[in-house]
Amino acid sequence: MRFVKTIINTAKLYMAKQQNRPAYFVAGLVLVLLPLFVAPYLRDIITKILIYAIFATSLNLLCGYTGLFSLGHAAYFGVAGYTTGVLMAHYGVESFWIVAPAGVLMAALMAAAFGFVALRGVGTYFLLITLAFGQLIYSVALKWRTVTGGTNGLVNVGYPDLGLPWFTMNALSFYYFVSVILVISFFLLYRLVKSPFGVALQAIRENETRMQSLGYNTWLYKYIIFIVAGLFAGVAGTLFSYHSTILVPSQVGILASTLVMLMVIIGGKRVFWGPTIGAIVIIFVEHYSSLYVPTHWPLILGCFFVVTVMFLRGGISIYLIKLLKRVVSLCIR
Amino acid sequence: MESILPNLLNAITFGFILFLIASGLSVIYGFMGILNLAHGVFYILGAYFGLALNNYGVPFVLASLGAGIIVGIIAMIVERVFLSRLHKQLDEQVLITIGFVYIFTTLARLIWGSEAKLVAAPAIVSGFVNIGDIRYPLYRLVIIAAGLAIAVGLWLLTEKTRAGSIIRAGMDNKEMTMALGMNYGMVASIIFFMGAFVGGAAGFIGLPIIAVHPAIVFDILLLSLIVIVVGGVGRIEGVLLGSMVIGLIDSLGKAYFPDWSYFTIYLAMIIILLVKPRGLLPRSQ
Repeated sequence: MRFVKTIINTAKLYMAKQQNRPAYFVAGLVLVLLPLFVAPYLRDIITKILIYAIFATSLNLLCGYTGLFSLGHAAYFGVAGYTTGVLMAHYGVESFWIVAPAGVLMAALMAAAFGFVALRGVGTYFLLITLAFGQLIYSVALKWRTVTGGTNGLVNVGYPDLGLPWFTMNALSFYYFVSVILVISFFLLYRLVKSPFGVALQAIRENETRMQSLGYNTWLYKYIIFIVAGLFAGVAGTLFSYHSTILVPSQVGILASTLVMLMVIIGGKRVFWGPTIGAIVIIFVEHYSSLYVPTHWPLILGCFFVVTVMFLRGGISIYLIKLLKRVVSLCIR
Repeated sequence: MESILPNLLNAITFGFILFLIASGLSVIYGFMGILNLAHGVFYILGAYFGLALNNYGVPFVLASLGAGIIVGIIAMIVERVFLSRLHKQLDEQVLITIGFVYIFTTLARLIWGSEAKLVAAPAIVSGFVNIGDIRYPLYRLVIIAAGLAIAVGLWLLTEKTRAGSIIRAGMDNKEMTMALGMNYGMVASIIFFMGAFVGGAAGFIGLPIIAVHPAIVFDILLLSLIVIVVGGVGRIEGVLLGSMVIGLIDSLGKAYFPDWSYFTIYLAMIIILLVKPRGLLPRSQ
């Protein structure tokens, strides 16, 4: 009986995978062909969206899968960004293979240090401590002027040098470079959340006491995922520092942390692709509102928060999935 | 050794300013479980409303009370319309208060501009007093008195009154409390009003010392968060102790390690959390 059940389950899983395959194919095709059809300025915004998609998905590991609301996630993004920026602008280290690992490693180390303290608090206490740590990094970026440039920002960060003689980095190839890193990151993260480790995290979110009684060291699980989330925020931060060419403290402060949190909840924190949808929506709204009503952008952001929490609890990606399924079933019929 | 006394006095007054800022947040967090990130907004709104009232010729004390009441009413509307529908959904409550931070901060900037504003202390208390052989501003002593008065008032409200015990019962079991005939919703609104009132009044009381502008919202929020993390939530004594500790560390840090002064309070917070994860005076469970 059990054997038959296993076979049926495996078959079901396979079917589920098959169902998603066309969607991945279409998404990949769009990613490859998009720069050919859009204006250069729009392509740069899409590059930014891809970077924030990695950032938001890394935060979703914490708040969606583990139930840990971190309000200081921009700290790891910022540490990696500033490490990259400082190495390039002050020390003239151009090689991608030195700069990027250094930035990501710094982010992971910072997450390891902060997570150790923050995870001592439970519930909203955790949120409060991560918020304080985020502001600590922000104030370092603000006050350590000789290194970070303070409010004037850190300038002269160029594109990464891959050390390949036949490859020159420009805005277009940087777009593809970011896309490749996005695909690799998402592949790794998707495997992670579908692994036994990822399932254990979701169980910790639902009932931590029960997981403890089953013999799981829940603290260690949370600590590891905190570091992993910080690491991928660092990946996004490094890419962002290449992309934006100037780093200012507000990009690592609470505004950035809450912005990425909004991406996660508006996209849907129970769906792997939710934060990506959220990043698309928020970056476009941010871009156009700062174009037409620059002083009102925080107001719009605040209204987004209120509306999302009150009316769109599951995020918009749930509705998108329903719509997609309806379209697919119509097509098949 | 003669330089220690003014530093110590400064530490105590800064501690009481911190207490004024943080106590409203702690009341709402400790008794309703809502981590109200909009608390910094209540503070600056209180400062702006008090300033407006003061400009119309309302005396200083009445202006601070009036500012507190206006902010309290705004907060009560927010609580009734939004937060009460998210009972015990702590993360959602926090997220929605972030939204209100942005909404109210932007509105404040659009209405009152983004330049820093101060108010002169009322004439009676604007002088100096001699303590030992140093001259000390009288208004700073007024802050200590105001802080003590608010501490006693909040302690009485939460520990000694019926409203306080209803709210604590409601936090443990809302349905049971309501089944016993208590109007939990109204009491929750009153507690939220009180927290916002104290925050708003503090905004104007602190205005002769701390200039107000929209960008200080997060500084105020952060200071109060650190105070309640250090002191422990849910008890007024905890907030008082937390603000004294942070006030002392910050003032002495500024006096003796000026280069590192910005980070001493973070360092203190980290060390205290590592030793006592629930703060110095946690509420007994």
